[in-house]
Amino acid sequence: MDFLRRFLNYYIFFTCFLCVRCDEFKEELFFKPLPSTHLYSYFQFVTLVDSELSSFHSHLAPRSLAEVVSRFQVEELHLTLTEGQWRHHQWGYPVLDAAPGAELYAWFSPDVTDVDTQWKKLSATLSGLFCASLNFIDNFNTVTPQMALWPMGAVKSSQNVTSQLRYASLPREIVCTENLTPWKKLLPCESSRGFSALLNSRMIHNTNYHSVGVHVRKVCKSSDCLETQLEFKQTVALVYDYDIIKSNDWSLRKLFGQGLPGACPLSTDSKIYIDITSNSSQPFTLSPPPDNVILSQRGRTDTLLAVYNIHPDGKMINIGVKHKTKSQLPVSIHPPLFFNRYVLGYGKEFGGIVTEITNNCLAPINVVVLENAPWWLPIQLSTLRVNGEAESKLVQSQYYSPGRSRQKPYHLELLIKLPPKSTTTITIDFEFVFLKWQEYPPDANHGFYIGSALISANLPTARNYTSLPITGTTFDSIINDTKLWYPIVFRTNGAMVSLPTPDFSMPYNVICLACTVVALAFGPLHNICTKELVLKPSGTSLSLTQKLLNLFKRKRD
Amino acid sequence: MDLINRIYCVLFTIATVLSLTYSIEIPEEFQKSNHSNNWAVLVDTSRFWFNYRHVANVLSIYRSVKRLGIPDSQIILMISDDMACNPRNPRPATIFNNAHEQINVYGDDVEVDYRGYEVSVENFVRLLTGRVPPDTPRSKRLLTDEGSNILIYLTGHGGDGFLKFQDSEEITSQELADALEQMWEKRRYNEIFFIIDTCQASSMYEKFYSPNILATASSLVGEDSLSHHVDSAIGVYIIDRYTYYVLEFLENVHPNSKRTMSEFLAVCPKSACLSTVGVRRDLFKRDPDKVPITDFFGSVRPVIITTDPIDILDTPKRKKKPENKTKSPVKREYLPQFPVHLVPNTKTG
Repeated sequence: MDFLRRFLNYYIFFTCFLCVRCDEFKEELFFKPLPSTHLYSYFQFVTLVDSELSSFHSHLAPRSLAEVVSRFQVEELHLTLTEGQWRHHQWGYPVLDAAPGAELYAWFSPDVTDVDTQWKKLSATLSGLFCASLNFIDNFNTVTPQMALWPMGAVKSSQNVTSQLRYASLPREIVCTENLTPWKKLLPCESSRGFSALLNSRMIHNTNYHSVGVHVRKVCKSSDCLETQLEFKQTVALVYDYDIIKSNDWSLRKLFGQGLPGACPLSTDSKIYIDITSNSSQPFTLSPPPDNVILSQRGRTDTLLAVYNIHPDGKMINIGVKHKTKSQLPVSIHPPLFFNRYVLGYGKEFGGIVTEITNNCLAPINVVVLENAPWWLPIQLSTLRVNGEAESKLVQSQYYSPGRSRQKPYHLELLIKLPPKSTTTITIDFEFVFLKWQEYPPDANHGFYIGSALISANLPTARNYTSLPITGTTFDSIINDTKLWYPIVFRTNGAMVSLPTPDFSMPYNVICLACTVVALAFGPLHNICTKELVLKPSGTSLSLTQKLLNLFKRKRD
Repeated sequence: MDLINRIYCVLFTIATVLSLTYSIEIPEEFQKSNHSNNWAVLVDTSRFWFNYRHVANVLSIYRSVKRLGIPDSQIILMISDDMACNPRNPRPATIFNNAHEQINVYGDDVEVDYRGYEVSVENFVRLLTGRVPPDTPRSKRLLTDEGSNILIYLTGHGGDGFLKFQDSEEITSQELADALEQMWEKRRYNEIFFIIDTCQASSMYEKFYSPNILATASSLVGEDSLSHHVDSAIGVYIIDRYTYYVLEFLENVHPNSKRTMSEFLAVCPKSACLSTVGVRRDLFKRDPDKVPITDFFGSVRPVIITTDPIDILDTPKRKKKPENKTKSPVKREYLPQFPVHLVPNTKTG
């Protein structure tokens, strides 16, 4: 047994040694306490492959995904499956935002001419890979964002990126263990070793927010960017509620049901980052103590990060946080930009969608708002009002693509300059549409979901900003990364409308009613048509009893 | 160092081969089986929280067939609604077979192939007959052949001659019989074992007319199939009687066990099920007394025993494609993540 273990260690060592050149795998885990009583944990598993190499020789990269990417000539792919709603107003910003339900967007290579067909094939294939109903993505719920989304990967200069982009979201999609299982199987260590061993489905589905994602893009290998690498990034974002774990002292064992069994032996780098900036207001101790503490300055925002280097020695590690006082609650500092979205109206004829965006900064912020309404909820551009005005000076650019019944969704994009310290309200009206009887889902009375709006912002400050810079693949790239602008794409909350829903037993009722009417009408008509009224001669002799009865009847009258 | 590595590798292979030969006992009837592969189609047709028990039913069978060796790639699991991660479930990502939480039938390793609105009569018939759209991924196809033994398990709400899908449409017994006949004509199966757990379940197999089908149902025409017990923590019935006893029976079956199909057919006597379990044997050529249960619930791995060793060292090398070296590397760049060109007076950072 000992011999076998030694052999295995050798084997793993050699495979690592032999393939450092071609593939590289890194795992990272980031914790951040969120005001007021939540904890954000973000897992990131990055595999870098030389894109010049054929995907069939990939060593650590998920082959099934690499094949999909090369077969459908995908330049960049983002897929997230999310349950719950990120509360930007309260929690600040996640590393990567995701729309509730399923969200998929991809850029295809410029060689692809028929993007729509390729897009449908891609979504159908991914639906099999991730056990999600992505095959419901079709032309009628796909848009091509013009301003809101830009490729995060390196693209060829002077390439038209917009025409190769497709975006779709399925807000109704549920996320459960069946999506996590195939996701875990893409990792080189699967769920046996490394950080992915913490992803125990019973614990992570007990959170307020969980999001599973796969992101593929091309990154520059060197600064001149003549060669690129393919980056496969698998992410999990979780928000724990201290009320559910029953204390604000947390540990890996408490959050995930078990300690960390060391790093994945195939990874070149395994690190845990804990945001301890809130330590000054809410003192807590980390046990065991971190390997080092880094002060990161982004713009004028300071972040203290405790870093743990995890080694693949198979030792159980349990990192915990213990607060010194229990009574204090952290005060949430409002992020520079937050928003809200809701549905207006009553009745079953007209309604409206309102998106409120608040700029909390002292400088104006430019945002792109993408509204995406399904074909059964027609929005009219003529009803668009920004702060109640039809012609607003805030709108700097706009794009509108009207929908077509059962073929194309309604798509509106606005480039807006939000004045400092203000709230901007965007209202657009819609009307309800009757669907055909067969088009209603089995639970039509549950209501119909409208996907989130996208808000792409160019933030002037890094307050509450946790995203990685575009050039970085790992968390160490955020350290002292000062830029002029901090771009981020947000997803608003989704909304739900109740469409005019017929009584589904109506056909049955109609049949019953029609049959009754026919039967009632048919009887007398048939009698009239087929029977003849014949006068009966009354002169015949009556029997004795009949005579007596007639006598009584007359008396009664 | 490379030499040591290679030696270790060879030793490891030998050790694996030795351990395999000694630990796994090949069942006696293994070679005599007349099928080459096993598939399972497990369908739950009902939506809504109060039908929790139907999801528990179908996952019980899923758990058993997976444990007995059918891989996920050969199991088509259709579940109409999400019970495990339903907000009403106080124990997220779990579905239990009884109120004492003995067996989590959902497990940590589950792959659902058709879920939610995808579970429809059309998709079910398309799956059986193989007439799926061209872009359908492998996991959503029933890639069976004339050597396949298929286990079909259906559960939901039914009546005399029909089974409801999602509370909005029905499949009739005639449609199902025709779909199976089409499968037979297309040589998509060797034998089928058909199980159905609904009210008046036996009405669904009465119209079958294709050969090699053994069918069993939880109740006869005119009878209701009953649920087993309520879990007060979730407030709904947790599993149906027939499947509860089937799971109890299957938990004691192992890949090497010699249990037969006739034992399975007698798994739920009327005293336990409160309904009469129906069986239809006339289309099935073999005697269920002699058919091992693993012919349908287990998985046969194709094994060819050969006496001539094959030399695999001299594999023909693939021809390398001539690399296009003349192509000059294209310079790429990162784009700004915001349409800065549309915004006047903005400096790019």
